[in-house]
Amino acid sequence: MKLPPFAYARARSVDEALELLGEAGGDAKLVAGGQSLVPVLAYRLFRPARLVDVDSVSGLDGIVERNGEHEVGALVRHARLERAELGGAHRLLALAARHIGHAPIRTRGTLGGSLGHADPAAELPVAALALDARVVARSARGEREIAMDDFLLGPFSTALEPDEMIVALRVPAAPARSFAGFREFALRSGDFALASVGVVVAFDEDGAVSRARVVVGGVEPVPRSLDALPLGARLDPDTIAEVAHVAAASCAPADDRTVDAATRRDLVAALVRGALTDVGAQAA
Amino acid sequence: MTGRWHQADERVGVDVVLNGSSVTLHASPRWTLADAVRAHGLTGTHLGCEHGVCGACTVLLDGEPARSCLVLALQAEDRRVDTVEGLSDGDELHPVQAAFREQRALQCGFCTPGFVVLAAWLVDSEPDADDERVRDVLSSNLCRCTGYGSILAATLAARAGHA
Amino acid sequence: MSIVGSSIERARDVALVTGRGRFVADVDLPRQLHARVIRSPVARAALAGVGSEAALARRGVVAVVTAQDVPDVRIPIRLPVAATANAELALQPLLARDSVRYVGEPVAVVVAEDPWLAEDAAELVELDLDYGDEAAVVDPSDAAAAEAPLVDPALGSNVVDVFPTVFGDVEAAFVEADVVVRRRLRVGRHTAVPMETRGLVAEHDPETGRLTIWGAAKVKHFNRGVIANLLGLEPEAVRLVEVDVGGGFGVRGELYPEDVIVPFLALSLGRPVKWIEDRAEHLVATNHAREQIHEIAVAARADGTLLAFEDRAWCDQGAYVRTQGLLPSMLPGLHLPGPYVWQAFSVTTHAVLTNRTPVGTYRGPGMTEATFVRERMVDLVAGELSIDPIELRRRNLVPAERMPFTYDLGPGAPPIVYGSGDYPAFFERLLTEARIEDLKAEGVGVGVAATVELGGIGPFEEASVEALEDGTVVVRAGVASLGQGIETALAQIAADELGVPVERVVVHHHDTDDVESGFGSFASRSAVVAGNAVALAARELRERAAGTDFAALVAAGETRGRFEKEHPSFSFGAAVSAVAVDEETGRVTALRHVVAHDVGRAVNPALVHGQLAGGAAQGIAGALFEELPYDEDGNPLALSLADYAMPTLSEVPPIETIALESEVLDNPLGIKGAGEGGITSAPAAVANAVADALGQAGRAVDRLPLTPARVRAMLRESDEEGR
Repeated sequence: MKLPPFAYARARSVDEALELLGEAGGDAKLVAGGQSLVPVLAYRLFRPARLVDVDSVSGLDGIVERNGEHEVGALVRHARLERAELGGAHRLLALAARHIGHAPIRTRGTLGGSLGHADPAAELPVAALALDARVVARSARGEREIAMDDFLLGPFSTALEPDEMIVALRVPAAPARSFAGFREFALRSGDFALASVGVVVAFDEDGAVSRARVVVGGVEPVPRSLDALPLGARLDPDTIAEVAHVAAASCAPADDRTVDAATRRDLVAALVRGALTDVGAQAA
Repeated sequence: MTGRWHQADERVGVDVVLNGSSVTLHASPRWTLADAVRAHGLTGTHLGCEHGVCGACTVLLDGEPARSCLVLALQAEDRRVDTVEGLSDGDELHPVQAAFREQRALQCGFCTPGFVVLAAWLVDSEPDADDERVRDVLSSNLCRCTGYGSILAATLAARAGHA
Repeated sequence: MSIVGSSIERARDVALVTGRGRFVADVDLPRQLHARVIRSPVARAALAGVGSEAALARRGVVAVVTAQDVPDVRIPIRLPVAATANAELALQPLLARDSVRYVGEPVAVVVAEDPWLAEDAAELVELDLDYGDEAAVVDPSDAAAAEAPLVDPALGSNVVDVFPTVFGDVEAAFVEADVVVRRRLRVGRHTAVPMETRGLVAEHDPETGRLTIWGAAKVKHFNRGVIANLLGLEPEAVRLVEVDVGGGFGVRGELYPEDVIVPFLALSLGRPVKWIEDRAEHLVATNHAREQIHEIAVAARADGTLLAFEDRAWCDQGAYVRTQGLLPSMLPGLHLPGPYVWQAFSVTTHAVLTNRTPVGTYRGPGMTEATFVRERMVDLVAGELSIDPIELRRRNLVPAERMPFTYDLGPGAPPIVYGSGDYPAFFERLLTEARIEDLKAEGVGVGVAATVELGGIGPFEEASVEALEDGTVVVRAGVASLGQGIETALAQIAADELGVPVERVVVHHHDTDDVESGFGSFASRSAVVAGNAVALAARELRERAAGTDFAALVAAGETRGRFEKEHPSFSFGAAVSAVAVDEETGRVTALRHVVAHDVGRAVNPALVHGQLAGGAAQGIAGALFEELPYDEDGNPLALSLADYAMPTLSEVPPIETIALESEVLDNPLGIKGAGEGGITSAPAAVANAVADALGQAGRAVDRLPLTPARVRAMLRESDEEGR
């Protein structure tokens, strides 16, 4: 499991990283914390000809709030995101980050790394999708924003071009009375989630649901927002149970030898119930 | 192509502060930090899986615990690296090491350096960590011999001693 | 004051906590080369050839060897009792010759200047494989079917041998029964997975002709003899050195192909050769264990008297028979009766080959599986009779007054003899210390298991003791330290006999040059057999010196002791498990575990506790988490430690241990083994606890591991039946 051969260059800035990517002509991988990429290299499942190291690039580790919108830099480590004081529904990012692996993984792993790796079981893509966030990608050709739905194409597959680099995640302001919940099911502490759920619910002045996102991860090839919680509903235990049931039924679990589809649906139901109950408790 | 690229098996000098001293490690780009410190003679950092699950290779990178099998050696440039060898000073053990000894928190000893580095970091940086936090952090690493009870007891004892 | 019985520290602990241990990966020799094994990527194929030109052309590559280049020999079976004529036909060659039989089978070896180059070059070695039309044989009961493709063409069947174990008249007992419960139970394939993978460094000195091998473990002297024999050397020319060892649990130290190939390469290439197994390899190359299917019927009377059982089992041996022979298939028969009085029983185990990683002995082999089967059935019978499962056990445990208790298995078969132990009293002690009534009142799932376990096997060990002028006492014994602390226990024994401070006793066990002979450390035998040998040697020294005056001890020279043990010892063991089941997700959380084991007399209580707790943790893991699944083509699915779910601290409950002491008559020190006591009863207790938690649905518990998916499936089925 020694790493396969690759040429290596270290970037000090985003511009330098983009230059190096350009030089690599498409056969390069960015590496920051390495928590996702290095195990893949160790198993020689993937053999990029070059690695561009962006672990020390400056200016990408900020968490900036502006009129309720948050911009989270791509090099923000999970351990920092976990402890970040993000108000309202944006707290979902911190809740999700808490579930990533173990503490030593969180000190190194980055937001950009997690989004770019697009593991179907990863937590941050679920949270980002539930928050209607957009990936900010930069290349020598300029900068663009990609909605999470458009960004996640399939397992370990994103809409990033070979010469592009994630620089931030932009999270739009959530409505005033918005709350978030995140639950996941993993066999052991620190394991990849067999299923995860991120929910963001907004309420109007009468306490009825005015906006809802129920996102499921780890169950299908990419995280998906389910149409399970109707507008105008009240978040009481009966409604929650019904939503959990609908959410589970609407999932199409990928065929997996370790966990059958029926059990995955059971997990989704339990997690949706838990996450919405958490939201209900906050809203009360 | 610019001169910034290092080739796969090119030997590169990596300046680090290793257990408090400035040294230059010599590593190839595809060496991990674990490979590099071991080649430097510090074999206390063990390779249990080389894919970031078992934690036997845990070191501190700029004072934070990291799996050295997942850090590329060249990424440690200009950083502080602390390994298990840096915890004791001659015959004087770090309180966590003394606690592991006292509580018999080891049998084969292979996972021990990773646990000791992790536990020492926790006790030193979070002396007020509650029991749940201690259990959660210790769940980062795998042990096959002890069943963990003695490892937990040792870490809690070291935390109490720190108070 | 006696030092035996006190929990003194191990001398090695300071080095290990400071990272100053020396494990085989830490051994480096000048000019060493690095070996990388190329392993079969498929479970079953004809091997037409191996193309090594591309690999040889690579910078830094020194050699590529295949079956044609290494001795055409087979890895032998170590214990005569574990061998049969058929088993001898199914032994593994060093490298695959005409066919490959499991994913992971060694086919070729690349030797290069560093491990990176070796691994790069290994990828360029081409295997010319012809898959043919026959499917891989994966499931042991399918493998046993008449029409199944043969794993080994030399055998007419995938069933290597069948082992009957019979006592009394089973048919008559079943006629008498008020109730008969039948079930098919299954333990999933899993194994030891020590934190350190295997490794070897071998060096040949052309001047002295000596071959030195670092990285040895468990059974050094046997391995030395075999390696010498297979390489055409005199045993004295081969030296095996044990360094610090990162756990064994039965799977490390047995002779594997690499143990012969690596020294062979050192001999042939004239440079030291180092081989460190990586974790991905380890999961397919190091012995697997535990997969067995048992179809069992238990007959009982309405008053709860267990009458008889009849069991047919299929025990997976994998693709080849390895050094432990057919022990995994032989041991269940001896362990199915357990600590109960039966009128009759009949066990028929089938040792079955499959196209998967070969099976060896993992801590508590055969006995852990048998205990799960029997104890699950005891609970099912109790349920059928509406008798409390604990009460039912009480009614059937061998009473103290019947000790020593014998099951006569007929002519030609050694009897099962439980030598000592008050089983009912031991059981009560466990229940009392576990506060069983309080546990039940908490509304969690509570399960119990009782067992007997074979340990302390002979035939003998020899040890020597001498006092040196520098004030130290040197003990030499052919044991192996795998992290369990045997060297400390032996030091305590010698210290007591000679009246010297234990700090002055040094135990040499690492080096075959230093220790003449030894059967090794396995089957919970070292404290018993080597311990008594050390005691005899020390006593002899004291007698020769006419006392414990140190100068006299020195003058008396080196003395030897030999302890022979004809029969194994049986230890009673039992466990209580408490679990909570989240019915929504199927997650089982182990809350508490209490294990008791008869150790005769605890030489070092802390070390005994460590063994029992560590074993219990592995057993709990085998009940709930660990599995080595394969697809229908024989491809292993657990390829990393992310897949193979060894528990973290969060998954292992607090474990309490009780070292039971009994009067032991078969050795002067009164010791029984402790190394495997924690694991044997654990999966059974946990399974019974899960069944208890699930209530009606829990009757379906018959298969390990009890993953969330399996628990959910049982609950769903029960819900459907309920409608």
